[in-house]
Amino acid sequence: MKRLIAALAAVMLGMVSQAAAQTKEITLWTHWAAEQIKRDYVETAIKEYEAKNPNIKIKATWYEKNALYAALKTSLRAGEAPDVFYAEPDQVEYMENGLLLDLSDLNWANIEPWAKQAWSYKGKPYGFPLEVWTVEAFYNTKLLADLGVTLPANQQLGPDAFLDVVKKAKGKGITPMAIGAGDRPFPGSHLTHEAVLKRLGLDEYDKLLKGQIKWSDPRVVETLKWVKGLTEAGLLPATFTSLKLGEAHTYFHTNPGAVMFLNGSWYTSRAFNAPDKGGQPVGFPLGIMKYPAVPGAVCNECKTLTVGGSYVANAATKNPKEVVAFLNALATPEMGNRWLEQVLVQTGIKSDASKITGPNAAYFQMLAKVNEGAKYSFGIPSQRLQAKPKEVFTQIINNAFPAGTISVEDAVKQLDAAY
Amino acid sequence: MPHTSAPLDIEAGRLTNGVRPALPGFGWFRRRAAAPAPAGAGASTATIIAFLLPALTIYVAFTAYPAVRTLWNSFHKVLPRREEFVGLENYAALMQDDLFWRAVRNTIAWACASPLIEVSIALLLALALYAKVPGARFFRIAWFTPVLMSYIVVGILWVWIFNYDWGPVNVALRAVGLGGWARAWLGDPATALPSLIFVTSWMWVGFNMVVLLAALHSLPKEVIEAAELDNCGWGAKLVFVILPLVRATILNLIVLSFIGKMKIFDLVWITTKGGPLWSTETVSTYVYKRAFEWNTFDLGYPSTIAAVWFVIVLAAVLALTWAFGLRQKLEY
Repeated sequence: MKRLIAALAAVMLGMVSQAAAQTKEITLWTHWAAEQIKRDYVETAIKEYEAKNPNIKIKATWYEKNALYAALKTSLRAGEAPDVFYAEPDQVEYMENGLLLDLSDLNWANIEPWAKQAWSYKGKPYGFPLEVWTVEAFYNTKLLADLGVTLPANQQLGPDAFLDVVKKAKGKGITPMAIGAGDRPFPGSHLTHEAVLKRLGLDEYDKLLKGQIKWSDPRVVETLKWVKGLTEAGLLPATFTSLKLGEAHTYFHTNPGAVMFLNGSWYTSRAFNAPDKGGQPVGFPLGIMKYPAVPGAVCNECKTLTVGGSYVANAATKNPKEVVAFLNALATPEMGNRWLEQVLVQTGIKSDASKITGPNAAYFQMLAKVNEGAKYSFGIPSQRLQAKPKEVFTQIINNAFPAGTISVEDAVKQLDAAY
Repeated sequence: MPHTSAPLDIEAGRLTNGVRPALPGFGWFRRRAAAPAPAGAGASTATIIAFLLPALTIYVAFTAYPAVRTLWNSFHKVLPRREEFVGLENYAALMQDDLFWRAVRNTIAWACASPLIEVSIALLLALALYAKVPGARFFRIAWFTPVLMSYIVVGILWVWIFNYDWGPVNVALRAVGLGGWARAWLGDPATALPSLIFVTSWMWVGFNMVVLLAALHSLPKEVIEAAELDNCGWGAKLVFVILPLVRATILNLIVLSFIGKMKIFDLVWITTKGGPLWSTETVSTYVYKRAFEWNTFDLGYPSTIAAVWFVIVLAAVLALTWAFGLRQKLEY
């Protein structure tokens, strides 16, 4: 009897250890802890993948971006980083130091070529570009109508008409545009970099960011002066410098309310949550207009498109095949369409926005309309700049210049000196 | 056992005035050394090592090695899985780094202003409590409370208080007809650093006050009574008797506050992250930015900043000690 029990125990132990040996755990560290819509999307994708691959267990850990970046810096150095983690294409230091897995085996046929390009380094792709976003001017249709303003057919106000909106809103005690630069290095810069991009056009703007054209270029200075005129007319909240990104959302749609909100098209990931979770009020009259035409612009249809939240793989992962297989499960047109439908932000996965149905279909049509005929510059400056130019750009163009605490001349001088 | 517990009984729980050491504990060593050798003294080397080893191990692992390693790193480019010797390159770059020097100026301004504000206000409050003003018990607790909060909580609290639209500071200014003075206190380069200095002063005044109050309460009564017998008024008693007796405590507090502000990080990171326009950048926030936010894994340059700053802080503390003429009296 004892022998029989011992034999059974050995068999059971063997079965358990065999199952344990076959189950592989893939660790994932990701941003979007506070962005429930994106989190739901990823968590659903994980569950589906695990259901189809019972031998794989994906352990996701959710962070806010700054905390995630700090954790990755130390864990990568210590060789303790997860198999897959969130990253954005500006983090070239990962690739420079050979810390990312070459993702050439990913099914790139399902990815937009420009999105692949954004993640290419020395000819090899390193990131799966899940999230893509454009800089959009959201507005409250009711408040704009109350000001007696009607948008032209192309959804783009001229420079004078835009200034008129600012003055009318201020006259009624309403903040024209909600932006806050309190906790991020980029929201305040949208106002300026979109204007400069339109004034210079794609190629010249590219040269400006590379330091091949100076910020003291007369075209840039003229544009900065135009932006300065807007901020001096009271475009931004007085709390601009300390207003955090999440607070800026609430400022726009709930309290105290602003006419416009210049933000990434990922606005939806916060605003389309339930109101008690920071979302916009039910029935909020949301509209999207184009960034206004800029005086002397050579490309008023130019705008910034950025590859944002992406997933990369640790070069030191012990499960490279499984990691690529998991990312490939995300890189399908079906998952792309689901991302559009669920998150309402663009994606680097090839997808078809016209297939979106349901309550948010109208939103996506609106987004598509303001992007018709757009010419894209890829990457916001805070992603494309590195080291000191990035730091100076952040301090000046993201913060001090729109806040009105630095003159055009001083801003130009410091930016030129940073390169 | 009596020979070990007796010295502790003498100093335990007592904050000192100018006569005794300002920080508790060190007097014990002097008394211990002066005490007659106990019976059975003369422990073996092995015993001494056994007792010293745990503390030494912790000291070497968590203090000495990181310090030496930081110095080592400052001469290298330190990247994941590789190091490259660069000699004095980092130091040369640091000399040309205008952002570093801006951070140095801000930090030194903070470290010089804060101790004077904190200690002088704390002294006034301590004297008020010493004189037993009405509600002294309540005020002692109320004034001390801020130091019980972490910089994180304090930072969030003051971001709200300084809010342009609805922060109490601007609301109060508008209420008394000074709306023109209302501003984004932490968003204006002209007011951001003074605002943060004010916050740290608000936070630490209570601590300084309690230490000074303890010093006042432990003043030798016979000296005070002698002054009173000589018809010494309150002012004269304060200037000629009390202040000289608590001088060492005051100087200790100044030096401790100075050192604390030279290392300040948390409050800045929570409130302004060094902005606007680097007006609140401190050396600590700049080190963090260079180490973790500049799209580089190199720890060499941030180590150089840390090494240089360590030397500057050490030199400043030694200079202060020398200036106060307290080389024999100050204990940190």
